[in-house]
Parts: sequence; C-alpha cells; structure tokens
Amino acid sequence: MISFHPTEEELAFLEVAKDFAKKKIRKVARTGEVNLKVNEELVEEARELGFLSLELPEEWNGLELPLISQVQIMKALSYGDLGIVQGLPSAGDAAPFYRIMHNYSQLQSVKEKYMDQPDYCSVLIDLCKTSDFATTELVVKRKGNNYELNGMTEPVRLARFAESVVLFAFDQEGQAVILLVQDNKWTVQEGDYRLGLLASGLGRLVFENCVVPANQVIVTGNDAEKIMKKVRTRKFVLEAAKQNGLMEAALDYTTQYTTERKAFGQEIAKFQGVSFKIAKMAMETRIVNHLMFEAALKADEDSQSAYGLALRALHRAHKGVRFVTDAAVQLLGGHGFIQEFPVEKWMRDAQAQVALYGRESNYLLERGTELLTSEGRVSVE
Amino acid sequence: MISLELSEQQKQIKEMTHWFAEHEIRPIALEADKLGKVPDDWLHQVNQMGIHLNTSSFGGGGKETSQGKKKKEREGNRMGVIATEEMAWGDPAVTLSLPGAGLGGPPIESSGTPEQKERFLSIFTNDKPRWGAYALTEPEAGSDASGVKTTAIKVNDGYILNGQKIFITNGARASWVVVFATVDPKLGRAGQRAFVVEKGTPGFTCTKLVKKMGLRANETAELLLEDCFVPTENLLGGEKLYETSESKPSGFQVAMKTFDSTRPIVAAMAIGIARAAYEYTLNIVRREYPKQGKYYYLACQILAEAEQNIQAARLLTWEAAWMADLGIANAKEAAMCKAYAGQMALDVCSKSLELLGPTGLDGHLVEKLFRDVKVFDIFEGTNEIQHLVIARRQYAPYGLRV
Repeated sequence: MISFHPTEEELAFLEVAKDFAKKKIRKVARTGEVNLKVNEELVEEARELGFLSLELPEEWNGLELPLISQVQIMKALSYGDLGIVQGLPSAGDAAPFYRIMHNYSQLQSVKEKYMDQPDYCSVLIDLCKTSDFATTELVVKRKGNNYELNGMTEPVRLARFAESVVLFAFDQEGQAVILLVQDNKWTVQEGDYRLGLLASGLGRLVFENCVVPANQVIVTGNDAEKIMKKVRTRKFVLEAAKQNGLMEAALDYTTQYTTERKAFGQEIAKFQGVSFKIAKMAMETRIVNHLMFEAALKADEDSQSAYGLALRALHRAHKGVRFVTDAAVQLLGGHGFIQEFPVEKWMRDAQAQVALYGRESNYLLERGTELLTSEGRVSVE
Repeated sequence: MISLELSEQQKQIKEMTHWFAEHEIRPIALEADKLGKVPDDWLHQVNQMGIHLNTSSFGGGGKETSQGKKKKEREGNRMGVIATEEMAWGDPAVTLSLPGAGLGGPPIESSGTPEQKERFLSIFTNDKPRWGAYALTEPEAGSDASGVKTTAIKVNDGYILNGQKIFITNGARASWVVVFATVDPKLGRAGQRAFVVEKGTPGFTCTKLVKKMGLRANETAELLLEDCFVPTENLLGGEKLYETSESKPSGFQVAMKTFDSTRPIVAAMAIGIARAAYEYTLNIVRREYPKQGKYYYLACQILAEAEQNIQAARLLTWEAAWMADLGIANAKEAAMCKAYAGQMALDVCSKSLELLGPTGLDGHLVEKLFRDVKVFDIFEGTNEIQHLVIARRQYAPYGLRV
C-alpha cells in the first residue's frame, strides 16, 4: 500500500540524526573546511551513534540497515552539512561493496579492521563506468594471476585518509575485475582544491608498478560486472539522499531568511518573485526525495529495475541540488555570496559533489538507452 | 512504513481502468475530438456498464470501531488518482465527459448534509447518463475565487441567485451544478455560499458552449443565473451550519477544501496525458529512429527526462492522495502535484512533438494531447495560484502570510 510514513524505528533514528546534524555537524562546517578534515571529536560521536556503519553488514559490526532507512538518515545528517558528511572517515563508497561481498574470504582483513574501527577509511575507484570519460588514466594489467596498476585516478573523496582501496576496472583484455589494494601501495596527490567538499579528503591516488597479488583479486568477469552494478545502484541512491539533505537545508534556511529580510518596506517573501522561487525549491526538494525513496525501495528488493531508478534519482538529485543551492544564494543576494552565511558554501559543495558523482547528461543517456531497449513504460512495478 | 507498492485493490482498479481506457476510450479519442463531442450512444453504453467519473473521496484514516478494532485504511483518494491517470491516458476529453458527479461531487461529499448527499449523489444510475458540475469561475473571478460576484439574496424558503459562470465542465448537460455565490459582497469570503442548482430551474440557463484549443470533445459551458430561485434545502450544508458553527464556514472554504481533493485528480489526468504522449513517441522512436548517432542520443535524453518527470509528478500526486486518505492536511502537496504535473505534461507533449518532427502534425495523437494538456496548467487553479498556495504553506510556520 502506498505510504510515505517512516517506521517508528526510523523516526527514532531520524530524531537523533537531525539533532546531531543541527547541533553538531552544522557547527563545525566552516572549521572543517579550513582544516581540510572533520574534527576528531565529531568523528568519535558519529561513530558512537552508529552513523559511520549504517551500510556495513552486522557480521562486520555494522547496522546493515535497509537502504530505505539509510537514505532517510543520510538525508538528515547531510542537512547539517554535506561537506562534513562526505569527510567522515568510513567505508565510504566502498561500503555497499563490503555489504554485498561480506562473506568473501579475501575481505577478512578488511572485516577485522571494521570490527573495532568503523572509521577505518576505504575508497572506491570505479574505472568501469561505461558512460564516463576520464582525463587521467590508470592502467590495470593482468600479469599471470596478479594485476599491476600504473597511473593516477581522478580526484575522489576520502583519498587523503584511505587505508584500503576497492578498484573496479577492466584489464587489458577488457575483462572486468574487482581488486582490493591495501598497505598504502599508492601515494596521494593532494592537489589544489578550492571549490567545495574541502573537508572530504579530496585527492588523486597514484599507483606506480603497484602489484595486486592474486589473493586480493576479489572477483572477475561477468560476476564482477554484476556486483559493480549493484554497488553503483546503492551508491547512487545514497548520494542522492545526501544531496537531498543539502537541498532541504538550503530551502529551510532561505525560507526563514526571506521572512526576516526586508526591502521596499516589507519582508521580501511577500514579493512573488521570491515566494514562487521558494515554492519551486520546495517542489524540487520533494521530487528528489520521492525518486530517491523509490530507488531505495527497489534496491532493497533487489529488483532488476533498481539500477535504472538509481540513475534517475541521482540525475534528478544533481539537477535539483544545483538549482536549489543556487536559488538560495540568489535569494540571499549579496549576503548569499559571503562566508558569514552558509549558503555560498552549500552551493560550492553541491557543485563539487555533482562533479565527483557523475555527469548528468551521461546519466540521462544511460537511462534513455535502458528505456529504448526495455519495455519502457513509466511503470508501477 | 514507506512503500510505493499498490495494494491488491489498487492493482485491480489500475488494470481494470487501463483495459477500459485502451479498448473503449482510446479508439474514439481522435474521432470525438473531430466531432467536438463524445457520441451519445457511447455514453449510454458506458453508463450502462456503470462507469462514471467519480472524483469524490473524503474522510480520514482508519478509525477505531466500537469494538476497538482498527478499520481498514481508507484508500479512496489513492484509488482515484490511479484510476484517473489510466482513463486520461486513454483520452482526457472523453474521460472528463464520462457520466457522474465529476468535479461537483467533492463539495457535496465534503460539505453536504446527509439528505443532500443522498438526493444529489444517488441520481447516477445505470438507466441513463447524468452529470454533475462545479461552477466557481466568473468573467471577473477565476484565480481569485474570493472575488465571486454572483449574488444570493435571501428570500422566504430560499435564495435568489443572479450572476454569470464561465468555463464550466459539463455545465449544460449537468443535472445539477454546485454554484458559488455571495450573500453579501461586503463580507468577502465569509459571505460566500455554495448552492446546488438543478437543471431546469427557472432563471438558470446555458448561454453558450465554448470552442476550445483542446479537450474539444468535452463540453465547456457558460451559465447564466437570472433571478434564479434556489430553495434553502439546496444550500450546501444547510443554513444551520452557518449559524451555529464557531469556525464560520463559507462557500469559499467549501471551494478550497474541494481543491485539496480535486487537484491530485487533475494532476493524475495530466500525468496520464504525458504518459500517453511519451509511450506513443517511444514506440515510434524505437521503430523509426537510427540506433546510433546524434538523433539517437537526442532521443535518449529527451525520453529519459520525460520518463523521470512523469514519475516525479506521479509520486507527488500519490503523496497528496495518501495524505487525503489519512485525513492529513494536504493543501501544499495538492498544489505541488498540480503545479508540477500541469507544466510537466505540457513539456512532455511538446518534446514528444519535437521527436516526431513535422510528421507529428498529421493525424498523430500527440498533436491532440498537446492541445488538450495546456488547460491542465490552468483549471482547478493556475500554475501561479498553485505556487502561491505552496509558498503560503511554506511560510506559514514562520507566521508570515504571503
């Protein structure tokens, strides 16, 4: 039965998450950006509250929550500040991979780390996104039973703190492979980042003749491709949720600001140019929420349609977060542009997030191809 | 628990209405548009099948019975939007012409006395097709529903109504019309009342059937009330309601409450139209477009965006309907779904025509859908009015009225 009501358990979790977002995360947003990392006290609190291990399997001491619960919590946390949430050391984008593959013996060393250290930091490098074009190259060659890596990744979050790397790649013969790289067999090129998500440990990983032994080759071939698709599905939905949290923050902040700010003798909210924009921001925020919910529900069911819905949700979240954060800056006028108000940071973070998590037009193209080659109805499954 | 699964009952109604839309409505869509009416024999036939356009579904969620058992959750609003989407997918003009209380149903359901509900809503039987209608708009009062000029002067046993109503769906053929009028213009909204004016009442006439850009098969009437006597028992809710209630209800509130229920229905119709255009175009692109190159990529992007926007509108609509079923205030959500769906549907039809190219002008359904859909961004409150409603609700927690 169609319902938009969270469970009692989710509501309880959300209350804690919202409180943490408003009272803790929001407060350290600026300092995190200056220090280029999230302060340890906040990481410790997030760890204690379980926010670093929502996706990790219970056997790894994680909470293993359904995606529909996680998206609500991630959204609530990101309401505090997306830059901070993206900088919390954790399994990061590799978490869905660990969840799906948690029984694999090759991952036992990672499991042991997470058992008592949920802020152990992993990075997922996905070189297999068929629709993406990279300006830098990381070459993955199979040499006997081993693989050798040479080259540099594009910028990824948590790179500076990474202790494990999960790599999705095609080898020289075009075979898909998933590798686990540990023991700091890479260097980090830190770069010159100024746009946004500055506390998220942005950097490029550089590999030079890095040999990945056979026991860290997790899976290859068709199985690898299937796993990659499932991981991407979950990752896309979780990122859409975080972006939706940022959208809601910008919407609420701007709504309140426009009730207080006066021009021409009245609150600027009373001008329809302002209030209608607020209405559009509210609609777009709600739309992203619902598309993200639908994708999460389908991912929880392990439905065939989940990947396409996740693509759709993230595409809309990209578009939505750019629109809403820009509108927020616009409605604050000059105040939106200066750092005494949070919205300029939110707009920068939004654009950086969009740059990190895939090109909008590619998502549309991929989704469109899926629609043209499948039944293609706007179906209710 | 958050869920977007249809209940068994919802699945059944969806399948049934889709079957009807595909096999009965769609085949007559282009012909009805050309004729400027839905054939009478077709209307008789579907009426005998018991198929009506019912937009009424009020009431809250499952309440406790005297035995303490929880009643089954109400799902009429969700069923309504699901069914309406399917019917409008078949054809919106034919759907709006289906017999039944139509948009006149919700105000009677929400504000009528039990006797009025019985008297006006029980006439929709299978012997012959009958319609209800809803008359709010006037030449000088459309979006500003509080500016209604039609007057209602109290006389013995009733009221004398004078005024003009325009853009009234099924207004000429309706057995009764819910008419909004003011008992005292100085009272503003508080002076408004809703009356049920029955066909054949002296002084109540249809002066014109208008010709339109689209929805040509559906009747749109102009109505005139000239010293039209309406008995007190046709005042919606009865006089006692206005005398005794502390909340001082008015016809304006009746009109607004109606919108909370009908806007999701109108949004669902727009979604059905958009879906029809999208699916029609998708089939042609699959069949006739190259499988690679710039036109293929163009089509991929346009279709992916259309599909996404349709689903976005549908989820907003479901949310508004779900809230109505549970008795949760939904004015903001009802306005959101209507605002978004109306504009989205026009855009999808326009982009579909773009994909079809000049060929789309010649005897293709999408051309008709484009003409039909524009008004969905206008009636039941224009897009701008929806934005105003959303903004007002958004600012309400801060104590600011915009």
